[in-house]
Amino acid sequence: MPTDSNGRSNGVNRRNFLAGVGAGAVASSLAGCIGGLGGGGGPIKIGAVFLLSGIAESLGRSSQAGAKLGVKDVNDAGGIDGRDVEIIFRDHEADPATANKQFKSLVQEENVDAMIGLTSSGVTLATAPTVEQLGVPMILTDIGTPYITEFNYDKFGDFYNDDNGKAAGKKNIFRTNANTSTNTYAMAKFAKEKLDGIERVANIGPDYAYGHQCWEYFKAYSKGMGSNYEFVESTFPSLGASDMTPQINKVLDADPDLVFTSFWAGDAVTFVQQATAQGLFDKVSDVFDTLGADPTVFKALGSSMPEGYHYSSWYWHSAYDNQNNTSFLDAFKKQYEGDPDTVNIPSFTGPSTYSAIWLYKQAIEAADGSTKPDDVISQLEGMSYEKDPRGPITISADSHQANAPTVIGSTSTGDDVPYDGVGLKPSYSYSMDRSTAVDLLQGSGLPPGV
Amino acid sequence: MSNAVRQRLLNGGRSTYAVALVVALVLLVAPFVLGTFQTSLLIEVLLFGIFATAFNLLYGYTGLLSFGHAMFVAVAAYAAAKVFRSVAPALGFPDLFGGTSVLATFVLAVVVGVAVATVLGVLVGYLSVQLEEIYFAMITLSFSMAIWVFVNQDIGDSLGIGVLSTNGSDGLTIPYQALGEVNLFGLKFTFMNIANYTAYYFVVLLLFVGSMYALWRIVRSPFGTTCKAIRENPERARALGIDVTYHSWMTFIVSGAFAGLVGTLLAPLHSNVNPGIAYWTFSAEPVIMTVIGGPYAFIGPLLGAAVYEYLRWFISQFQVLEAHWQFFFGAILLLVVLFFNNGLAGFLAWLRETVADRLGPDAAADSGPDEAN
Repeated sequence: MPTDSNGRSNGVNRRNFLAGVGAGAVASSLAGCIGGLGGGGGPIKIGAVFLLSGIAESLGRSSQAGAKLGVKDVNDAGGIDGRDVEIIFRDHEADPATANKQFKSLVQEENVDAMIGLTSSGVTLATAPTVEQLGVPMILTDIGTPYITEFNYDKFGDFYNDDNGKAAGKKNIFRTNANTSTNTYAMAKFAKEKLDGIERVANIGPDYAYGHQCWEYFKAYSKGMGSNYEFVESTFPSLGASDMTPQINKVLDADPDLVFTSFWAGDAVTFVQQATAQGLFDKVSDVFDTLGADPTVFKALGSSMPEGYHYSSWYWHSAYDNQNNTSFLDAFKKQYEGDPDTVNIPSFTGPSTYSAIWLYKQAIEAADGSTKPDDVISQLEGMSYEKDPRGPITISADSHQANAPTVIGSTSTGDDVPYDGVGLKPSYSYSMDRSTAVDLLQGSGLPPGV
Repeated sequence: MSNAVRQRLLNGGRSTYAVALVVALVLLVAPFVLGTFQTSLLIEVLLFGIFATAFNLLYGYTGLLSFGHAMFVAVAAYAAAKVFRSVAPALGFPDLFGGTSVLATFVLAVVVGVAVATVLGVLVGYLSVQLEEIYFAMITLSFSMAIWVFVNQDIGDSLGIGVLSTNGSDGLTIPYQALGEVNLFGLKFTFMNIANYTAYYFVVLLLFVGSMYALWRIVRSPFGTTCKAIRENPERARALGIDVTYHSWMTFIVSGAFAGLVGTLLAPLHSNVNPGIAYWTFSAEPVIMTVIGGPYAFIGPLLGAAVYEYLRWFISQFQVLEAHWQFFFGAILLLVVLFFNNGLAGFLAWLRETVADRLGPDAAADSGPDEAN
């Protein structure tokens, strides 16, 4: 206890005490206001959590661009049930703890009615239990892992509770982008049907769950299709590595015909630059990249991207020739013309994020304006959306995965792109259904996730 | 201004006591007035407060900058996650303890986590304290990143050692059922779930008070004074007969043990333990918090933790700022480092002194015991 100069201990005198109580009361009441007051009526709030900083920033910002356009168009069309849509963007920083914090803040403080998100498969899987507990519907628009839309817990085990469990489907989580399963299926099918003389296949991808998963799925689909490849090498530089030459050399030493890669954003750029320097593109027949067909990547590479290699992603602007895609591209261009941060054509998360907002509109209006999670979820299950730029999509009632297609195409300067660099021409769109996937993945232990 | 007010301001003891009482009251009442999210944020602030203060035991008090403190939090968090997920069910806790199995599992998780962190502190500490200054920072960083590689690449699983498997970059999730209902001799409550952090808050508050008090007693003891001596001048300390290496080692272990405690408490709060908690950027967080708050005051790191978390939350409330939050955060950190002597704690002390000066130059008493000397 502190003492005064006479050695007597000082207690708390009355003035101190009253001042303290006053301050405490003010602090508590302020905190009470922060605690969040509910609000009925008013705008429909959507929480959007993407990776807005760090290595995957371009992916997060592309999702943000698609979402903003979706909100604007929905509001121009009268909003949801006559109410304006308000969207709140948060950064999940590649960290599940931050993502959890953002979800909780959005649902418990901002009282959002629904959420869209995510840029990292790892964060998605790590935070799905939190999203499940929070209850509001969540539409994933840029996530690869098939596990999050796998519902067959009996066959594949529970991802969260069983060792090696792979089913992580949650009742309030949906997805509008084609996932890794469909994407690698398309690549395996393309390789089998359209490429000749492929016998040796090597893999190089980022060293984390996504990179490993893409390779496992590609191998499984190839085997299922009877492609008979010899998988000669598999190497993983770290995510965001600035020097991939050791791994590139390993791949070259294995003398493959086809190099399968799963890089995106900065890694895709680094890989192409360093592989070109090592002469990899000349020594192999073809190079694949699961998410390499990205306007920001092609713009960054410019003329240094070699032509004639087959890159994939979940959407390419010139792969779809329909009215909805044309209007979508026009609207996107108009919105982001002159914006230095966004390339004028939507990246691979464009339509999936754009459609997510429209899906919420459709679902809430079909539920007579109710934003109760159970009502919205039951509307979303089995719902079809006709106006998706990729063509009409339907959300499976079981897996909550939309039957969205994926694109693979040949890198070429013949494509009409608003930057100096390559696009894809020709490009092919592939779809897949669950029974095909189950059939092909037989014996691999991998869940179809559709 | 009356003499009484002047006296009150000068006699730091009384007002510090009053402030402490207000803070205690606010903390006790907090979960009932704050919303769910704010309560969970406050729990994080308390935990990071302990983490930063434990870190500061090495940095501010002993002069050893550890850039790998995440490793203690990580090993303890992973150990706790494993206890929740596999060890407790394997030992039959639900049958053994019935209604209180959640609490029993939690206690076991904390004990195991702290034990693992302490053992790590003993081993890593022994090797680290042989080095000084920048080399100490580098070696702690190296150990921490080695642990990150171990958990990220799931090396335990590759080596076939099941108990050390970590599920790589996806991490280990603690099922929320494992943190659910407790029936303690008829008293039923929810230990922790996403809509209700009250019980967990009080558990953390209890451990917070205990830890901070323990750390306070440590720095105010001969042990703490020896640490300060080592910080000021290791050679002179040696000349006085202090075994600097041994003493630094002991401090390292204590610091690591408290950091481990934080790890075991963060694991259920985050519900998912993943390699990010072992990465160097997580080690940087207590450093930044300590710099913001002031390393030469005991309360500094805690203030820094509060500022760090609430500032981040504040920025996220405004879309304009959130879009470039790293910039704003960095700018504020820059201001603090450039203009504040000893961070926020130093600023508060300077404020108190300036106000005291303005009230009268004949104020002979100094404003309370100076904490860092």
